[in-house]
Amino acid sequence: MNTSSSAVRVAVITGGSQGLGKALAREFLLAGITTIVDARDDVRLDAAVHELRPYGNLIAIPGDVADKRHAHELVNAAAALGRLDILVNNASTLGEVPLPTIDQLTEQTFQRLFQVNVFAPIHLIQHSLRIMRRTPGNPVIVNITSDAASQAYATWGGYGASKAALEHVSRVLAEELHGTAIRVLVADPGDMDTQMHRDAIPDADPAELRDPANSARALHQAIQHVTEPYQRIRVPGMVSA
Amino acid sequence: MNAAAITGPLTLPSASAPAERRGIERDGVRLLVTNRARSTHTHAHFYDFAEFLREGDLLVVNDSATLPAALRARRSDGTELNLHVATAIDRRLWIAEPRGAATPGEVLQLPGSGRATVLAPLDPQAPRLWFTLFDLPAAMYAYLMEHGAPIRYGYVTEVFPLSDYQTIFAREPGSAEMPSAARPFTPGVLRTLRRHGVGIATITLHCGVSSFEAPERPTIERYSVPPETAELVNRVRRAGGRVVAAGTTVLRALESSVHDGISVASQGWTDLIIDERYRLQTADALLTGFHHSAATHQWILRAFADTTALEGAYREAAAAGYYQHEFGDVHLIV
Repeated sequence: MNTSSSAVRVAVITGGSQGLGKALAREFLLAGITTIVDARDDVRLDAAVHELRPYGNLIAIPGDVADKRHAHELVNAAAALGRLDILVNNASTLGEVPLPTIDQLTEQTFQRLFQVNVFAPIHLIQHSLRIMRRTPGNPVIVNITSDAASQAYATWGGYGASKAALEHVSRVLAEELHGTAIRVLVADPGDMDTQMHRDAIPDADPAELRDPANSARALHQAIQHVTEPYQRIRVPGMVSA
Repeated sequence: MNAAAITGPLTLPSASAPAERRGIERDGVRLLVTNRARSTHTHAHFYDFAEFLREGDLLVVNDSATLPAALRARRSDGTELNLHVATAIDRRLWIAEPRGAATPGEVLQLPGSGRATVLAPLDPQAPRLWFTLFDLPAAMYAYLMEHGAPIRYGYVTEVFPLSDYQTIFAREPGSAEMPSAARPFTPGVLRTLRRHGVGIATITLHCGVSSFEAPERPTIERYSVPPETAELVNRVRRAGGRVVAAGTTVLRALESSVHDGISVASQGWTDLIIDERYRLQTADALLTGFHHSAATHQWILRAFADTTALEGAYREAAAAGYYQHEFGDVHLIV
């Protein structure tokens, strides 16, 4: 096929204005990857863009991943560049803080949790596959998860259920992508010093939390070295099952 | 790519105004017919176009309508520049060309309280076309109809109405620049074609902005090839008729919509590059304008004719006083 898909790799990261998403965007940009990020809060996104832009070719689009039309916008930007090498479903919500017990979990919170943490990644994946199928090399879908998906922590029921759902979707997706070059990576970044962590556990000792920059570096390494159709990793490094 | 070598000193003078504003009819422009097999060049006028087609041939045209895609924009320091809106990626996100240097993240004020944020260049090595996020008080098409003007380059010295930038086939708004090869068609020419037994089918391809300044790769464009057209193309070719693409946009759409040598219906974006290495599968003849040297246009022509034939054609055209560009004369390569 005599088409013009660019030699420059392209990544989409949802939730790129802070924490792991922002740190990962910087890693990608440093590696020469054109990086498309979004964030719900455009003031914070502007600040992140200001910080990240010197590192490379950054496309920042404000919007909520749960808004289908916005999700398509992100992938369409990649499609316009002719390829999508990495999709990172990083944007997540805790639903409400302080985290409620199952007993206290409202339908509204539960719905928002699944909209942002499950349905939005599914939409993005659905829309990305077409362009990923024609991207050279091994495109990677990265879904950010949490140990709350497998461990039973009090008050983490709603969030944990949404991440467990995302993990299961990821496993099935990998089965369905068998025979294609597309890889699925589920990554648990552990406890990082991020706003999300502060919201969830306000009294955690920052000294015991990982710097998202380190996690991002390790995650980028992992993304470069995914060889299996499906992998679940704990960042940094350790492969669990 | 050494596209400049084709014309060099033979660059034709540019048509600065539409034919009908130069005292001739739309179909009164010159028509140069290059026959590749016979290595001949014939001079005619466009009103005689049908004479060069045969019964059973199929003419495929682009029904994209031109948008008034040039906006006056103001930088934060108060200086003004034009912003050419090229290709829709999504509802807020477009590919656009600021006609002047741009900085990533730069916010441009647009008429009617519109705003454009220049995000990032499509190609960091050649930062001419930019992903641009628009905040507009209305949908883009409506907004452009109110505040935009047709894109105009230096050789067009006057502002002409949008209707001067529409071909007779224009139906679907979306082109930043007119698909100009079909501009000379008139109802009279269409009647003669029908009388000659030539079929007409349409595709849609929304033209982005042309790359006059640098020999860049063509960018992505939105297109659609409907099932009726794909079917007609296949039927005509099977029956030994010729498919005549009215413009390189038509060629790009048709060639983007072919599978194992069979024309199929499809739509989406195309990033297909047609150049001298490309083997055409859908079209046998091309109607096109004259466009100077560096334009990517020349790459496409090389898929149709070798450099000698093209140089010969440009020499003939130059000697006979042809004009180039969107309001200029046209060239049929059979």
